[in-house]
Amino acid sequence: MKVTLGNFIEGIEKGADTIFMAGGVGPCRFGYYGQIQRIIIEDLGYDVNFVIIDFPRYGWKNLFSSLKTMMGGKWSIPRISRAVTLAWNVLRFVEDLEKNSRSIRWKLKDPNQLDILVENCLKEIKKVESVAQLEEIKEKTFQDISRLDTIEKNNPIKIGIVGEVYIAQEFRVNFDIEKLLGNMGILVDNSVSTVEYILNFLPFTRSWEKEEAWKLAKPFLKRFVGGEGIDTVGSTIRYAQQGFDGVIHLYPFTCMPEVVAKSVVTGVGREYNIPVLHLAVDEHAGEAGMITRVEAFIDVLEMRRKQNVQVTPCF
Amino acid sequence: MKVGIPRGLLFYRFYSLWTTYLKELGVDIVISPPTNKLIIQHGLTYGIEEICFPVKVFLGHCYYLKDKVDLLFIPRVVSFSKNEYNCPKILGLPDVVRNLFHLPQERIIDDEINMRDRGIIGWRQGFIEIGKRFTSNIRKINNALQIAEEAHLQYRKKIAEGYFPDNLIDNRPVLANHPEKILLLGHNYLIDDNYINMNILDKINNIGYSVVTSDMVDKKKIRNALKKIPKPSFWTISNEILGTTLHYIQERDSTIKGFIHLVSFECGPDSLVGELIERWLKREKHSIPYLRLEIDEHTGEAGLITRLEAFVDMMKWRTETFESNLSSSCSSECSSGSSLSNIRR
Repeated sequence: MKVTLGNFIEGIEKGADTIFMAGGVGPCRFGYYGQIQRIIIEDLGYDVNFVIIDFPRYGWKNLFSSLKTMMGGKWSIPRISRAVTLAWNVLRFVEDLEKNSRSIRWKLKDPNQLDILVENCLKEIKKVESVAQLEEIKEKTFQDISRLDTIEKNNPIKIGIVGEVYIAQEFRVNFDIEKLLGNMGILVDNSVSTVEYILNFLPFTRSWEKEEAWKLAKPFLKRFVGGEGIDTVGSTIRYAQQGFDGVIHLYPFTCMPEVVAKSVVTGVGREYNIPVLHLAVDEHAGEAGMITRVEAFIDVLEMRRKQNVQVTPCF
Repeated sequence: MKVGIPRGLLFYRFYSLWTTYLKELGVDIVISPPTNKLIIQHGLTYGIEEICFPVKVFLGHCYYLKDKVDLLFIPRVVSFSKNEYNCPKILGLPDVVRNLFHLPQERIIDDEINMRDRGIIGWRQGFIEIGKRFTSNIRKINNALQIAEEAHLQYRKKIAEGYFPDNLIDNRPVLANHPEKILLLGHNYLIDDNYINMNILDKINNIGYSVVTSDMVDKKKIRNALKKIPKPSFWTISNEILGTTLHYIQERDSTIKGFIHLVSFECGPDSLVGELIERWLKREKHSIPYLRLEIDEHTGEAGLITRLEAFVDMMKWRTETFESNLSSSCSSECSSGSSLSNIRR
C-alpha cells in the first residue's frame, strides 16, 4: 500500500489530476486501500479526483460513474473496448516475454544481453498504438532472444516462486529475485501472473494450472482465504510434485492471506519434503540481507542434491 | 465424546451460543482456562512469527486442549453478517491449527458458517452440519439450535447492558459505575481477555472512568452511522469499530471523555481502520482525545500504565481548558480542524 501511495504522489507531482485505484470486497485488505489512500491524499492537501473502481456488489452505478470519470466525462463504448483490448494484449505480451527470458536465462553465456533486449522491447511497447504493431515487436524480440548464445548445461537447480501477486511480480520491490536467481544459473518458475490474477475475477477463465493448484491445496487449506493464499499453498504442492528443488515464498510483511498460507505451507513442506524459503518484504528489507538469505538457501538445495538426504529444513 | 472449545478469538462473542448448542446436543464440553502465561508460551512456540498476537494466544489454548479432548471446536466463521467477511486469519484458522499441530482432519470441527451470501440460511446450515456430527436426529438439532440462539440473544443483551463476558462466564464482580466514560474500541478478543489486555478494564475503572465498548452501542445506530461514509469496510468487527466511532463523533455524548483503541500488532484490518479513525478525529474542530494502544507478546504492563495515566492527564487538562473557555487552538490536535462535513464526503 505504501508503494502504491508513493506512486500516486509521484504521479500527482508530475501533474496528474485523476487517480485510479481498484477496490474489492475482501477479505484481503487490498479492497480497502483505496479508501484509506484517498483520505491520506486529501489530508496531504492534494486536490485530485480519486476514482475507485469497485465490484458490482456495491452497485453498478458506482462502477459506471467511475468509468465515466476515467473517460473525461464522455461515454464511448468503442473507446473503452479498444483501450481494454490493447491493454490486455500488452499485458499478455509482457508476461510472455518474462516467461521466455525466465526459461532461458539460466543457460545464457551473458545474461546482460538479455537484459538489453528486454529493455529495448519494453521501450518500444510504450509507443505501440495497435495490436498489429504489438505482434510485430513480439515476433522480433522472441527471435532475438532465441538467437542468444547459450552454454551447455544440464539439470539446473529448479526453484519455484509463489506468493502475493504484487510482490512476486514487481521486480523493483522484490529485488529482482528472478534475475538474481537466473544469473546464478538456476531455472526459475513463477507461479504468479497478473493475467491469471485478472482472469480469476471472471467466471470459467481460470487456467488448468490454477484449477489444479486449488484442488491440490484442498487437503491443507479448505477454503479461499483472500488474496493468493490458496494459490500459494497449491502451487507449492505442484512444484513439489514436479520435482522442483525448492520454493521461495514472497509476500509483503503482515499480509493476512499469505500469513495464513505460510502457516499452512509448514505442513506442506513436512508432507512433501520440499524446502520453502519465506521472504517477507517491507520498507526495511535490505537488498544485501535478502541476497545472503537466497544464497544460503541455494547452498542448502545444492547440498541436498549431493547428499540426497531426506531432511526437512525448517525456516 | 469430549469437545474442547479454545477460549480465544470469537469465543467471547459466541460463548453462550456455542456452549448451549453443544450442551443441548448432549456433548461433553471442555473450555480451556482463562489465558495465562503458559498458554501464551505454547502459542508463541507453535505460531509462526508474523501471525497476530490473538491468534498465537488461540494456538496456546488449542495446545492446552489438544491432548485432553477428542475433538476441537474451531468452526470456520467466514462471516456473521451479510455481505461482510471476517479477517482471513479467522477464515483459515482450522487449517492453521491443523497444520501447525499436525492434527488429523477428523479431530477438528471446522464446518463453515457463512452468512455472507445467503444470510441466516448459511448460518443455520453451518450449525446443522456441526450438529450432524453428533446426532442424526434433525429435530433434536433444530431444537438445540433454537435454544442456543435464544441464549445467544440473551447473552448479547446482557453485554449491551454493560456487562462484560468476564462477569457472565467467570462470575467476576461487576465494576463500579462512574459518570465519566471512556470509549474503548477494539476487537472482542482483546477487550474481553483480561490477561492479554493486562486488565485494562480494571485499570481504567480505578482511575475513575467507566468503559463503553462498541458492543454496548445499538446496532442500528452503528449501521446508520456507517451509511455516511462512501464505503464501509468488509470486516464485521472492524465495521462495528468504525460505526461506533462515527456515531460518537456525530452524537457528541458529553460524558465520553476520550477514545482508546486497543489494537494487536499486525492486525490487518485495524491497521487500516485505526488510521481512518485517527484522521477523522484530527479533522474535527474540537477533537476528542484518542489513544491507540498496540498490544503484542512483548508489551510490558508498566508501559501500558504510564501511557494510560498520561492519556488521562491529558483528558483532564483538556476538559479544564475547554470548560474555562480558553483559546481552543492550544492543542495540536485541533489546529487542523474542519467541520464534520468532511467525513461525509
